Amino acid sequence: MAAAVVGMATASAIEPGDEAPGFTLKNTKGEEVSLSDYEGKLVVLEWFNYDCPFVKKHYHSGNLPKLQETYTGKDVVWLSINSSAEGKQGHLPASEMAARCAKEGNKASAVLLDPSGKVGKSYGAKTTPHLYVITTEGKIAYMGGIDDKKDANPESIAGATNYVAAALDSLLAGEEVEVKQAQPYGCGVKY
Amino acid sequence: MRSTILASMALAGLAGAGVKSGHAEAELVAASAGYTAGKPVELAIRLRMDEGWHSYWVNPGEGGMPLSVEWQLPEGWVAGPVLHPVPIRFMTGELPGFGYEGEVLLPVFLTPAADAAGAVTIGAQLDWLTCDDEACVPGSAEVSIELRQGVEGPGKDAAAIRDALAAVPQPLEGAKLELAEVDGGLSFRVELPGEASAEGAELFPATPGVVDHSKPIRLSRDGKGWVGTVPLNEYASDAPEQFEAVLAGGELEKPLLLKWRRGG
Repeated sequence: MAAAVVGMATASAIEPGDEAPGFTLKNTKGEEVSLSDYEGKLVVLEWFNYDCPFVKKHYHSGNLPKLQETYTGKDVVWLSINSSAEGKQGHLPASEMAARCAKEGNKASAVLLDPSGKVGKSYGAKTTPHLYVITTEGKIAYMGGIDDKKDANPESIAGATNYVAAALDSLLAGEEVEVKQAQPYGCGVKY
Repeated sequence: MRSTILASMALAGLAGAGVKSGHAEAELVAASAGYTAGKPVELAIRLRMDEGWHSYWVNPGEGGMPLSVEWQLPEGWVAGPVLHPVPIRFMTGELPGFGYEGEVLLPVFLTPAADAAGAVTIGAQLDWLTCDDEACVPGSAEVSIELRQGVEGPGKDAAAIRDALAAVPQPLEGAKLELAEVDGGLSFRVELPGEASAEGAELFPATPGVVDHSKPIRLSRDGKGWVGTVPLNEYASDAPEQFEAVLAGGELEKPLLLKWRRGG
């Protein structure tokens, strides 16, 4: 347990502007996917747990699937990552995860499984949802919550400022990202 | 007719009119079943968590979510803020948080309308989150309580509500909280009036998202005051403009609510 805490303390030193830590994870089909596969592309990392009420807020409302569809349509690579440990909320074996993703309407480029939590901890992913936007040069442009309404109520979405969409829009327009980090909110990642 | 009403009221009391949702049971209780028009009444929201699950404080820490309350009040009735007793600190997996385990009563004062009359129903829509290390489960409940016009003695929950009120931090005349930015963090200075002592007390950050929540903030004596430092929250973009803190435990007689405002 002490080692895990030390791991978190080191990882949480990631800041906007830092190089995004590389990783290789398996997708729901068992194929290996690496961050380096997407060199030169804008990449979004989205930590999820379909049973967490805050994730449900953004999936059942269609908010996250719509973002995924919109931005993958603009050549952004969207990776949904699950770091729930086996036996903890949100964990599913690969075959069941694929079916659950389809049910939730997930439109990400790939869904990656990180049951050891190694990649989650390398990013300091704390909550579900927790998102990171990575530039074409592989640097962290935004990290934190999806928006500024830290609740589990889908009715908050309409009036919320979506930091991820804002960061992506700025980067796609070749402009500086205004809000580079915001408080992540949600259930804790169940490492 | 009267005996039927009394019998059904007694049954309601025995039944424990709590509403279960997720991993907690919620109930609205009153210090007395009677109210007088224009005079505040003492109510409380009781939340009973299943063993192993916790609910969250106004500052939940990392992850989590505080209780949300939407009142359904009779015309002209006004609800004050929902008051929170001093929380406990816990870990949910690797995330530090503040909140409650077991059972908590959150007192609230309601003021009846000046022309309030007769029996009334006070209702509230409650939404909360309970978590343990493995999962988070929300709860949602509509709770209500009936009050009658007229002076009545203390009800069965009066003592518990009094106890809960004693655990709610209050401002103290002459107490001062100062904040200053230091290298990547904040330094606190607390001064108390008279002979009051904050020796051994813990400072709980009531404003979310400001400080690093992972370590308890303990103050140590410095001349006439008590001081401590804490790193800024990783996601805090700027130093705060205002900050609320709860000081509790140690040699304090009762928990204190301290407020600081930049330039104030």
